[in-house]
Amino acid sequence: MRKILIANRGEIAVRVIRACRDMGLASVAVYAECDRAARHVRMADEAVAIGPNPPADSYLRIDRLIDAAAQTGADAVHPGYGFLAENEDFAAACRDAGLRFIGPTPEAIALMGSKTAARAEAVKAGVPVVPGSDDPFGADVPDATIAAAAEQIGYPVMIKAVAGGGGKGMRLVADPGGLASAIRAARSEAGAAFGDSAIYLERRLIRPRHIEVQLLGDAHGHVVPFVERECSIQRRHQKVIEETPSAVVSPKLRAQLTSAAAAVARAVRYTNAGTIEFLLDEDGRFYFLEMNTRLQVEHPVTEMVTGVDLVRWQIRIARGERLDLDPAVAITPRGHGIECRIYAEDPDAGFMPSPGRIAAMRVPAGPGIRDDSGVEAGAEIPIYYDPLISKLVAWGADRREAIDRMQRALREYDILGIRTTVPFFRWMLAQPAFESAVFHTGYLDELLQQRQGEPFGSPDKEDEEVAALAAAAYTTYVGRVPPSTHDMRGGPAGNRGGPAGNRGGPGWKSVARAESLRE
Amino acid sequence: MKPDIVRTGDTWSILLGTRSYEVTVVEEAPGELAVSVDGRVVQVRRAGPAGPAGLARRTRQEKHVAGGTEGPQTITAPMPGRIVKVLVTPGDAVAARQGLVVVEAMKMENELRSPKAGTVTDVRVTQGQLVDARAVLVVVE
Repeated sequence: MRKILIANRGEIAVRVIRACRDMGLASVAVYAECDRAARHVRMADEAVAIGPNPPADSYLRIDRLIDAAAQTGADAVHPGYGFLAENEDFAAACRDAGLRFIGPTPEAIALMGSKTAARAEAVKAGVPVVPGSDDPFGADVPDATIAAAAEQIGYPVMIKAVAGGGGKGMRLVADPGGLASAIRAARSEAGAAFGDSAIYLERRLIRPRHIEVQLLGDAHGHVVPFVERECSIQRRHQKVIEETPSAVVSPKLRAQLTSAAAAVARAVRYTNAGTIEFLLDEDGRFYFLEMNTRLQVEHPVTEMVTGVDLVRWQIRIARGERLDLDPAVAITPRGHGIECRIYAEDPDAGFMPSPGRIAAMRVPAGPGIRDDSGVEAGAEIPIYYDPLISKLVAWGADRREAIDRMQRALREYDILGIRTTVPFFRWMLAQPAFESAVFHTGYLDELLQQRQGEPFGSPDKEDEEVAALAAAAYTTYVGRVPPSTHDMRGGPAGNRGGPAGNRGGPGWKSVARAESLRE
Repeated sequence: MKPDIVRTGDTWSILLGTRSYEVTVVEEAPGELAVSVDGRVVQVRRAGPAGPAGLARRTRQEKHVAGGTEGPQTITAPMPGRIVKVLVTPGDAVAARQGLVVVEAMKMENELRSPKAGTVTDVRVTQGQLVDARAVLVVVE
C-alpha cells in the first residue's frame, strides 16, 4: 500500500491525510466544486474533482471515486465517516477495482448495517438487546401492523431506521396518537438519508446512558476492545459531547461491556475499526443497540486516553498486519478525555445551521488540547454538508482536569463570521449535572426545553464596553489608515486610541445594549 | 483613563489601565461588526436608523427581546435550503410557536415556528422548492 484516496471531506479527510503522512504514504483528496480551496484539498499530495456540490453528485458517486483512484494510481481507499463509509456497495466496488478498502468487508457492513439483523447477531452472541420488533417494517407495511407491534412492546417506543445511523430517521413516540405522524417523518428522513425507508421499533428505556465500545479486529481473527466512551449528552439524538472513561462504569462493568462487544465482533468475523453501542439503564443493566462499521467521529477521545492511533491501525490492518496491541493497554484508561463537537450552528437561534464565510478563526492549544478541524479563516462553510467544523478534545489526569482544560480551550476558541456552538459548550460544561456526571440521553433536550431559548453566554457590560472601544478603533484605523502597527503606534500622540478615547466611541452601539434600551 | 489599543491583524489588544483584553474584530456586513472579547462574541452596529435588512437571526432576536409581534409577521428563511414541508395554508389559525414550514439545510431539518398566535395570511412557498436566505416563506397576522 503506497497511496490512499480519501473519499471524504472536512476534518476527517484532514485527519486521515495526517495519518498517511505519519506513515510515509501518499494521499489523494477528492472534492466537490465548492471545496476546491478546502483544507483537505490543499493538504493532500494530489486532488481530484468529483462533481457538483450536492453529495449525490460528488461524494456519494462511487463511479467517480473509483475513477479518481485509477487516475491517480491509488491502491487503497479510506472512506472516513458518513457519506459512503457504511455502504457495502462502495466497499465491494473498491474490492472489485483491486483497491484495498480501509474498513470492514462489504459482507460485515451489509450484515451490521441492517439494524434488525445486527440485533439478531447480538442475541446469538449472548448479548442482551433492547426489547423491540425483530423484523423490519418495509415501506409497504401498513401503519396498523406497526401499531399492533407497538402495543405489544409498550409505549413509549422509539421508531428507528433499519438502515439508520447518526440519529436520522429516529422518532420517540409517547402514545398511540403520535404514531402515524412519527412513522411518516421517520420514513421520509430515512428514505432521504439512506435510500431505505424501512423502520423498526424499540422500547424506550427510562433515562438510559449511551455507552459504546470501540474495537479493532484484524484479518487473523484477533479482536481488541477499548475502554468505553460515554456519549449521553445528545441533542435530538445527535451526540454533542463524548468522553472516556464513563464516570459510571466500574472496572467490573467495563470488563462485561468490552467482552460483550468483542463477542459480537467475533461472531460476525469483524475486521478493522468498529464501535458497538449500548444503552445502560438506571439499574446498571446494558443492552446492545447497534454497531457502527466505521471510524467514529469521537475516536480521538479514545486515542487520548490509550495512546493508540486508531487511523494508523486501520491502515495497518487493511494491509494485512497482525493486531499485536496489548489488550490490557486498550481497556485501561490513562486519564480522562472529553470531546466537544463544534458545529456551524447558532445556539441562540435553536441551533439553526449557520453557513457562510469564516472571517476570523484562532484555535486553542496548550496542555492537553487537541483540535481536529477541517477549516480555517477564509473558509466557506457550505450548505450542502454536515455543519461540523471542528472537534475540540481535552485530556486531563482526571475528569475534573479535563473539564477545566476544555473550558480554558473554549475561551481561547475565537471564530467570527459564522455562529458556532462554542458559547453553548461553555454553558454546558458549567452545568452542575454535567460536572457531577448525572445525566442520561434525554438530559440535554430536557434542559434546553426549560431554557425556552434564553441566550447562551450573553456578553456582560464589560464585554460590551470593550467591544464598543474596539469597534471605534476599527472604524478609525481600518480602511482609512494603512493597517499596520507602525501607523497605529507612530502617529501623533494625541491620536493614540483615536476616538476610542471617548468611551464607547461615536456611532457604534452594541446590539445587545441597543436592544435592552428599547425594552 | 485612556484605553491603550494596538492592532495585530484581525486581533486587537486593549489595555484599560493594566486590565488586558484580547479582542478580534471583523466586519460581517456593511455597518455590522462582530467583536470577540476574550472569546465572547458581541455584535456591534452603527447606531441610528437600521441599515440594510439585518440578519434573520438578529431580526428574530429583536422581535423576541422587544416583544414586538404587533402587526403582520413575516417568517423568512434563515439560510438557503429546501422546503421539506409546508404545514399551514392561508386562513389557518396558528398558536404562538406552532410549526409553519420545515426547511432542510446542511442535512438537518429545521421547523420554523410562528412568532405569535394569529392567522396565516400568505404562504409563498411549496414543498420541494429551493429558497435563498431571507426569502419570505409565510406571513402571520
